[in-house]
Amino acid sequence: MRRRLLGRLSGAVASLWVLAGAAEAPAGAGGAAEPCLRLPYVYTKWKHFTTENGLPNDHVFAVRSHENDLWVGTENGLALIDKRRGEVVKVWREKDGLPFQAVTGIDVDPQTGAVWLGLFGGGLARFSGGRFDHWHQLNSGLVNDVVYDVVVANDSVWCATTAGASRFDTKTGEWAIFTEKNAPMEEIWNYAVDYDPQANKIFLAVWGSGVLEYDLATGRWQEYIDPDGEMEIDLYRDDGINHVIVTGVTAIDGVMWVSSYFGGTRYDGRSWRGFPDIEGGLPSLFNNNVRGRTAYEAWYCSDKGAGAIVDLDPETWVQYTRDGKTGYAVVKQRLRPEDKTLATVEVIETGLNVPHTFVVNADIEGDDVFIGTSHGLGWGIGEGYYPRLKERPRMGRARAERAAPGGVSAPAPK
Amino acid sequence: MRLRMFLAVALLLGAGCAVVEPGEGAAEAPCNEWIPFDHPKLVELLRLIDVGDHFETPPLEIRKDDNYAGTPADVEPFSGTRPFNEFFLKQMEYTGPGRAEPEPESLESVKIGFIGPIMSTVSVATGGKSHEEALGIPMLQGARLALEQWNERGGYLKRKIPFELVVSNDNGLWGASGNEIIKQNYRDKVWAILGTIDGANSHIAIRVALKCEVVMMNTGDTDPTFIETNIPWVMRNIGDDRQQSYLLIDYAYRKLGYEKIGIIRASNRYGRFGVREIRDSARRLQKPVPVEMAYMVGQEDFELELSRLRDAGVDAIVHWGNAVEGALILNQMRAMGMRQPYLACDRCAHPDFVAIAGANAEGVVCGYPWNPESRNPNLARFRAAYRERFGQEPETYAAHAYDGMNMLIWAIQAAGLNRAKIRDVLAYLPEPWPGVTGDIQLSACLDDVGDVYLARFENGDWNYYSRADLDIPKGYIPPRDRVSRVAEETAQK
Repeated sequence: MRRRLLGRLSGAVASLWVLAGAAEAPAGAGGAAEPCLRLPYVYTKWKHFTTENGLPNDHVFAVRSHENDLWVGTENGLALIDKRRGEVVKVWREKDGLPFQAVTGIDVDPQTGAVWLGLFGGGLARFSGGRFDHWHQLNSGLVNDVVYDVVVANDSVWCATTAGASRFDTKTGEWAIFTEKNAPMEEIWNYAVDYDPQANKIFLAVWGSGVLEYDLATGRWQEYIDPDGEMEIDLYRDDGINHVIVTGVTAIDGVMWVSSYFGGTRYDGRSWRGFPDIEGGLPSLFNNNVRGRTAYEAWYCSDKGAGAIVDLDPETWVQYTRDGKTGYAVVKQRLRPEDKTLATVEVIETGLNVPHTFVVNADIEGDDVFIGTSHGLGWGIGEGYYPRLKERPRMGRARAERAAPGGVSAPAPK
Repeated sequence: MRLRMFLAVALLLGAGCAVVEPGEGAAEAPCNEWIPFDHPKLVELLRLIDVGDHFETPPLEIRKDDNYAGTPADVEPFSGTRPFNEFFLKQMEYTGPGRAEPEPESLESVKIGFIGPIMSTVSVATGGKSHEEALGIPMLQGARLALEQWNERGGYLKRKIPFELVVSNDNGLWGASGNEIIKQNYRDKVWAILGTIDGANSHIAIRVALKCEVVMMNTGDTDPTFIETNIPWVMRNIGDDRQQSYLLIDYAYRKLGYEKIGIIRASNRYGRFGVREIRDSARRLQKPVPVEMAYMVGQEDFELELSRLRDAGVDAIVHWGNAVEGALILNQMRAMGMRQPYLACDRCAHPDFVAIAGANAEGVVCGYPWNPESRNPNLARFRAAYRERFGQEPETYAAHAYDGMNMLIWAIQAAGLNRAKIRDVLAYLPEPWPGVTGDIQLSACLDDVGDVYLARFENGDWNYYSRADLDIPKGYIPPRDRVSRVAEETAQK
């Protein structure tokens, strides 16, 4: 099984060489001390939640951490995890008042503590004071009941729906709808929404219309679409969003992180940076979402594990994946700027990290990360977390390889 | 597995269609209405996808196509540039946990969803009023016929329970299809879904299908972008507008030598995306389309649009829209003295078009996704059964829905009641599906890349021609993906 996973990662490795000083033995396994390299923090301590320890359903669609509360939206119910106790303390299904079984978006209003829920076919719900309030197409200005994502921005709640975006003013009760009529949406299939409080802007990830940025102060739109305009190719690297079908967006520290089923993209306001799977950093082209942590770190939710890009200088990724009963963190780095692919510089057997390789959603709070997958939730506990890179010895099996252009570098099996 | 095979053999023999087990000899002619359940490749696939737990991803081969959609080099986008990345060539994977889900124990029927435009309504998205019921109702009938025939053969063979069609109207309002698929998934708990036609609704539906992890078999949406989404749960069994456009382009430019073609199209997603390959290909062939006019669905006077086309001095006109508007445009065009050849999409090769256009229909050429005059015995059987069941002749949407439903049910029979395995069986067809619409060959991105045709109205009837029939030249189709092609061409030099 392990061999199969690693073999899959290996792809078409045409040539490889071991870097000078990069022994195959685990660090500290005798011999001369290994030199310290600039390496990222790697999550090695994880908690897991499935139906076996309280989740209402294993298919996790949404996760949101807010102080001590960890809210988990699944395909059949909502769960609350008490982070101090480290356990599921409450579950709601439809019979408990949850307006619809599938919860695809969650956000918490920092002012009121109200929990807002995007319901996959059930509209929008607010959980407050132990009660669910429910808005849908027939009783409100919600443009569609298929809500993929929800975010609280000041006094408003924004919903990304399959037929446009809706904004609900929680003070006045007024609704606004954004579709092709009043926004630059060539298509109206909204997939995700994010709010950048620093910039006071809303970011919509729209399937077929790229990313739309809405300035709350001016009411102006800015669109970001694939510059080549073609579905079947990405013409140039780093020229913009790599595909018009966008699945997720996070704006943080002046940087926009974008996910799609065709890779990932970063934009800092001046330059674009594309992340295709063929370079070996991003685990897969197929990315369900992205959660940015800083201008340098973002977690991509792919169908082949979580891919955390943790620095750009040099470009460094940590891929979290599992195989059978255990998990691996694979550190990838672009060793020289001219290298076309990233090399594997560290492979750490972490024990189980992400519960399943099909990652759907992620959230980050403080030093911890929370990974929703199609079979359970993983909580990465960031003891001693540090951002970007720092010099440290390798923690586990260490090996560096380089793939031929177009191939994917990866660790070789034992 | 062996038990399932046995049941299949027994029941299908009873229905007059033999399945030949390996090593038993071909005592009876093998059935050619579907792929045999004992096909060695299918048997091996079923073994591979029989995973032990939710965390195992079977080691399935990832197919890689040489060329996307059989696109000739001279009509490829940015053909002079080597792209950084090319999509839709590698087979999409499903890496989720679904294969380990067991069959539910108590079921009274095996539900399959149908979603299509079957009831008239108001539609903003499709141009002001719904207009696709004429396509959706035959689609429903074709799907229903296939399902009824499988029920006559014993239903779901493994459990001897019937198949049940769960029908939803795709009423054209954007987003409605999403709600319907949610309902089919969570309330009705369907095992697979067939539909839709309208491109906008299709896109909404497939995003839901992806999240719910249920197969969506499309048999009627010819929007090229439908499949250009990288969703491993979505497949299509009808030749799309890209394929039909390539043939029309080759016919108009490479064979007939037209220099200047004008476009008139419906102002909806079908028209907008349908003509995209025509317009882009013309430009790439150095013969750009001078005028493209859009009209509202339901419009009856096209003088403004046609006068612009006339003033542009075009050699021929391409229409992309429904049959009624297509015929009205043609009539008005002729009344205005415009004698240009009239080329159109497959929706115009329809009795409504002929009824309205009358003598003007003579010589009209349409792209067509299949050959309804084929001597395929499956088609003859289907025609007879459809006539007997519904008292009318089957058309494009009925025939493709019949094939699509047969593919879904065949996959359910082979894979069992597991959505992921149903997907796998369809994504890894051991050979082209022997459909009534011809052999259905799916590309790596699960799109039908089989032959398409031209329909020409001659002497009061539609005649169907393949590329070979009309000796239509074809552009060079490189046998290699674009990213690695340059190196190969350099080496050849």
